[in-house]
Amino acid sequence: MVLSLRSASRKIWQTLSSIKTGVVLIILVVIFSAAGTVILQRPMTDADDMQRAYAPAMLRFLDVTGLTDIFHTRWFVGLLILVSLSIIAASVQRFPNAWRYFARPYKSPDEGFRKVLPTQAQIPVANEEQGLSAAERAFKHLGLKTERIVRTDSFSLFSERSRISELAVYIVHASLLLIFLGFIVDSLYGWRGFLMLSPGTASNQIEMKNGTMRTIPFAIRCDGTGEETYADGSPKRWWSKLAVVKEGREVSSKEIVVNDPLVYQGLRFYQASYGRTGKLDQLILNATPANGTKGTPQEISLAMNQTVALDADTSVQLVEFIPDYVVQDGRVYARSKDVVNPAVHMIVTSKKAHSSVNVWLPEIPGINENASSPYTFDPKDLKTGVFTGLEVSHEPGQWAVWAGVVLIAIGLTLVFYVVHMRFWVVPVVDARGRTVLWIGGTANRNRDAFELKFKSVVEQIQKELKPAVAASTGVQATSISGTSVSGTTIAGR
Amino acid sequence: MASEKVEQHPATGTTLVVMVGLGMAFLLFIAFLNVVKSGNILSEANLLYAALVFYAGAGALYLGFGVTGTDAYIKFASLMTWAGLLANTGAVAHRWYEAGHPPFASIYEMLLSFVWTLAALTLIAEKRYGVKVIGTVTMPVAIVGVILMQLLPSEVRPLVPALQSTWLHVHVTLAMLAYAACALSFALAMMFLIQDQVKTELFLAATSIFTVGIYAAVLTRFEKWGGLNVIAWDAENKTEVFISRGVRLFVTIPDLGWLMLLVFAAVLAPLLLYILSRVKRNEGLLAVADRAVFISILLQSLALVFFLLRVRGGQYPSLDADGLYATSLAASPFILSALVGGIFANLLYLLLLWRRADLERLLPDADALDRITYKTICIAFPLLTLMIAAGAYWANRAWGSYWNWDPKETWAAITWLVYAGYLHMRITRGWRGRRAAYFAILGFAVVMFTFFGVTYLLPGLHAYA
Repeated sequence: MVLSLRSASRKIWQTLSSIKTGVVLIILVVIFSAAGTVILQRPMTDADDMQRAYAPAMLRFLDVTGLTDIFHTRWFVGLLILVSLSIIAASVQRFPNAWRYFARPYKSPDEGFRKVLPTQAQIPVANEEQGLSAAERAFKHLGLKTERIVRTDSFSLFSERSRISELAVYIVHASLLLIFLGFIVDSLYGWRGFLMLSPGTASNQIEMKNGTMRTIPFAIRCDGTGEETYADGSPKRWWSKLAVVKEGREVSSKEIVVNDPLVYQGLRFYQASYGRTGKLDQLILNATPANGTKGTPQEISLAMNQTVALDADTSVQLVEFIPDYVVQDGRVYARSKDVVNPAVHMIVTSKKAHSSVNVWLPEIPGINENASSPYTFDPKDLKTGVFTGLEVSHEPGQWAVWAGVVLIAIGLTLVFYVVHMRFWVVPVVDARGRTVLWIGGTANRNRDAFELKFKSVVEQIQKELKPAVAASTGVQATSISGTSVSGTTIAGR
Repeated sequence: MASEKVEQHPATGTTLVVMVGLGMAFLLFIAFLNVVKSGNILSEANLLYAALVFYAGAGALYLGFGVTGTDAYIKFASLMTWAGLLANTGAVAHRWYEAGHPPFASIYEMLLSFVWTLAALTLIAEKRYGVKVIGTVTMPVAIVGVILMQLLPSEVRPLVPALQSTWLHVHVTLAMLAYAACALSFALAMMFLIQDQVKTELFLAATSIFTVGIYAAVLTRFEKWGGLNVIAWDAENKTEVFISRGVRLFVTIPDLGWLMLLVFAAVLAPLLLYILSRVKRNEGLLAVADRAVFISILLQSLALVFFLLRVRGGQYPSLDADGLYATSLAASPFILSALVGGIFANLLYLLLLWRRADLERLLPDADALDRITYKTICIAFPLLTLMIAAGAYWANRAWGSYWNWDPKETWAAITWLVYAGYLHMRITRGWRGRRAAYFAILGFAVVMFTFFGVTYLLPGLHAYA
């Protein structure tokens, strides 16, 4: 029983770590995410639109299977977790081998290895020491470091470059897992909401996507917001001055614009929208005394419910602002919150006469008493309130994502552009009893470019040897074999 | 007289060079007269016109090379490409200076940069890798690109707040480079298949499937009783007409839908004939299929001409609003490029059908093409990764979240996964040659869908491009 359990778990492990499983999982992810872009998705699409688009039975099926919100269903998240597990399993299974390769480089090649290495060459030399030191000079000339490997019965030369490249694939896979981790953390602990503020107001209540409210441990105060437009009227810039208020004290402040949010304690506040509230901010009008032939007009400014003295006796108070008014059955109603057809209601009070008069602008027959007002009013400017819409997001996992992105960039650079190349130089005695320098090399990728590099190494060694060789034998017998297995010297070529 | 000369000395190729030279001199003279009239030499329009003239000359010479294999053309062709690239660089620089931001903000600016990239890549592929015939394919694309630019609204538009970010430029530049590398790997994979003795009729099937896909996508805009829906265009403000925020107004061009349906049938015919010939093992049907391709090219050209005429003139009713509205080519860039792309793909097939032996002689050998394809994808993949990362970073700053599962994002991820699959199969499973080439072609198909298909069929947050 224990044995079968072990074999079962081994089987699962093997299945998980196989490249075939990985590819099947990737294909499944591709199919389902493609489906998610074709089938209308729930939070983005209105319920009405969904009902219009699909038949009731179909919609029920889609809802039950989660196909209307694929990217947040458990089975899709489960699929992504399976992909992560497959990456982990595949990496864990292959990593020890690569690590051994990395940690214990093969420095002194034995005869079997020398026989089968595809890229190799042989150069006749006078003696071992002369050949090896020439090779050392050659590598140094080409900017490669060398190491003398001394064994009991032999000594040889080893040179390599960018061994880290052997581990590059694992760096890429690890960074992918890091990105996934950040993503999972965010889908579990992250949240997004909305906050609407008018200048001068503050709030710590965030409206979540599902309509509930969330209280954050500090308040955000809006100290101003505005819009700038281009000459053609299209928006150029939206900005908001925000301050973070904690226990009654302002602890941080920033002017945010689109693309430049405010960050405080892991919460980010983005400029998402901007608009008019339909509430009156300031009304500017000219007031002229009605009785008397020609009084001088005075400019006054009124805010909501504000009272302003017009002279020693008379004062005016703004009591009502209707952004889009309509009159029905002798009463004034608001049709909408858009400032398209505004009306204001003011009360002009005279202390002496103990009278108060309802003044409406514009005049609304049957309701206003403008005629009996001691002043006539002439509206100059109307400033309505503005609001700024802030997206609030909390993404604790995003640092893992960005770290993963940086790491993946490094990893991919290593994978594709950094080649691990190794060279060995071993003095051997060939079949005819001559001392030759056996030179071999490998690269883990981009082999055709490596062949050229190898060629230049061999040529450089020959150049370093030349005076000695010319003096001793005068034979230029060298072979550079690119792909053939046998790298024996062909004399007299 | 000239044609006689060509027949007498087909190998020297002087005639074509002289003819192209004379044609270009004529066009440049006309342009010079215009410049004298307007008095402004180095305007963007003039630079673009010069680029068009040079690219057209280069395209003619490259085509001449592709068809006859005369090496003498290449020298002049690449000279022309250099000149065109120079003028194009001037236009890009002018645009950049005028707008104050790199030219990626509208479809016009994207095309401007795309054509530049294409010309530069052509020269690189030719000089560095010795793929001389590539200009035969890329130059016509560049010419179509420049002509499309003349039709699109070109004034410098201010950037809306969400686009005012350095990350936009990083993101789009990377996307441009990545997609160009993907396109190159696709072209190389196709050349590999030609060199790998893949039967010509398979290319017929591939071309037909591509064209059928195009017309199927166009027919998603088919409106009942034969109309074709296109987006309405406000000529005064040079913008699409919106009903509400983000919802565009569609107008119905009557009868154009029927024509598209007819062309759909015409492009389906070669595919059906091909399938029939495979099922019945009847080679004779393939000859019929080739003839059907020829007919379908004629019908496609007809559809393009009618589309151009109907869209450029006339007012059309809409289902969603009262009154008549105008439309413009600028409002339907995707349909336009789809129609042009379909014709182009079929013409390339004809080139292959008639000149296969010459092409095989001109192209590098299969092994080299296989290797270069892989190397190109090795360049494309990191660029794709960084493009997605830069986009995510920008989205995080602009919308508050680095990943929204928006269709464009999702399809970018799918593209990435497909190329990741290619690399795994190639590196760990040793996939070489034909299977790898098919995979590279699939990758580019997904890229094309992400770039065109998603914008046209699956609108989302990514409304800018």
